Amino acid sequence: MLSRLVLRAAPAALRALPPPPLPVGVLHATRQLHTTQQSLAPLPPLPEKGGEVRHGLIPEEFFQFLYPKTGVTGPYMLGTGLVLYLLSKEIYVINHETVAAACILSVIIYGVKRFGADVAAFADKLNEEKMAKALEVKNEAISSLQAAIDEEKKEQWRVEGRTYLFDAKRNNVAMLLEANYRERLMMVYNEVKKRLDYQVAMQTLKRQKEQDHMIQWVEKNVVQSITPQQQKESIAKCIMDLKALSKGAHAAL
Amino acid sequence: MNLSFFDQFMSPSLLGIPLVLISMLFPTLLFPSPNNRWISNRYSTIQLWFLNLTTKQLLTPLNKKGHKWALILTSLMTFLLTINLLGLLPYTFTPTTQLSMNMALAFPLWLATLLTGLRNQPSASLGHLLPEGTPTPLIPALILIETTSLLIRPLALGVRLTANLTAGHLLIQLISTATTTLLPIMPMVSILTVIILLLLTILEVAVAMIQAYVFVLLLSLYLQENI
Repeated sequence: MLSRLVLRAAPAALRALPPPPLPVGVLHATRQLHTTQQSLAPLPPLPEKGGEVRHGLIPEEFFQFLYPKTGVTGPYMLGTGLVLYLLSKEIYVINHETVAAACILSVIIYGVKRFGADVAAFADKLNEEKMAKALEVKNEAISSLQAAIDEEKKEQWRVEGRTYLFDAKRNNVAMLLEANYRERLMMVYNEVKKRLDYQVAMQTLKRQKEQDHMIQWVEKNVVQSITPQQQKESIAKCIMDLKALSKGAHAAL
Repeated sequence: MNLSFFDQFMSPSLLGIPLVLISMLFPTLLFPSPNNRWISNRYSTIQLWFLNLTTKQLLTPLNKKGHKWALILTSLMTFLLTINLLGLLPYTFTPTTQLSMNMALAFPLWLATLLTGLRNQPSASLGHLLPEGTPTPLIPALILIETTSLLIRPLALGVRLTANLTAGHLLIQLISTATTTLLPIMPMVSILTVIILLLLTILEVAVAMIQAYVFVLLLSLYLQENI
């Protein structure tokens, strides 16, 4: 792991060194050590997984490094031999600290194995929540804009139907106007008829009055012109007619 | 290697060069500095979450003026936590087992809280020396007792941390020595002792975390009284 740190830190460390006073061609050659871009933005993405380790401690690269010469069991043989060498030569002395070391290491390994996945999931959840909050803003903006688009489309559809609406309204208005016109026409007719009827009634009345007046005048004159002698003669004639009639009636019975 | 019980508490030196400074500064290497990424790796996220949690926990009871202490309290907490936990590893030197370092941490910070209280609100901070509702004849005695308890606070802070950690480490040493010695003689008793040692180790992990938290919590309490 430290080797990986060194390898990753090498470009930055080399960059931090003062530039050597070399000709330009050599500088280009040393740029081969630059593995990343020289500018800070945009940031290169984080790798998805950390470095592969075996048994939690030893990087995979070590095993790959030894594989061509010693095969799969090479690193393990190396490890065992190293441990046995240290123990047998008493370079590492077994004392009370060994037991304490065994205890604390077993506690640590148990803790990591038991809670490791949960802690990783928790960290991922924290990051996910952070991203979800930002995505929420974006998604809400998108959905509100989509709703606005749908509303707009609906309004456009409504506009198409507007011509029918206007036609209907126009018809309605025309009908109203027509009805109003006819009503007023009727009213005019009625008024004119009323006036003409009035004139007719006036004339009729006038003629009747003239007639009555003339009849009265004629009667008055006739009654005035009846002399007493004529009166007596007419009465006698009436009596004679009556006698004749009565005789005729008696005869009929 | 170490043959005596107290070698672990000796300040480490290599060829006469004292290494205690390196051992005190080493824990800072274990914490990644927050980088300018919005979504960082799991370690940085967890570290940030943990720091937010502890800061919130420590600073909620304090008023706004006390929030100036946020950095020193949180960094002290992280420092003590890391040093205590790293000290449980074998062959490590724990700086917090040294009374000198703990007193050096406790005394100035406690004195700072006291002086803040005396400077900003002298009558209120002196009023803490007499609890409410004490019967009148007891007042002189109680003032003396409270003053003693006030003055003993830095000593208590430092010694508490030192004693807990030293005792824990010593116990681990003793019981593991017992295990090693009993192994050829009475293996079953040795295994029993190993079980005890396992439980003790778990206890020591808990104690390491709790002692760090208690140290900082008490300082924040003293600050609350006085700010």
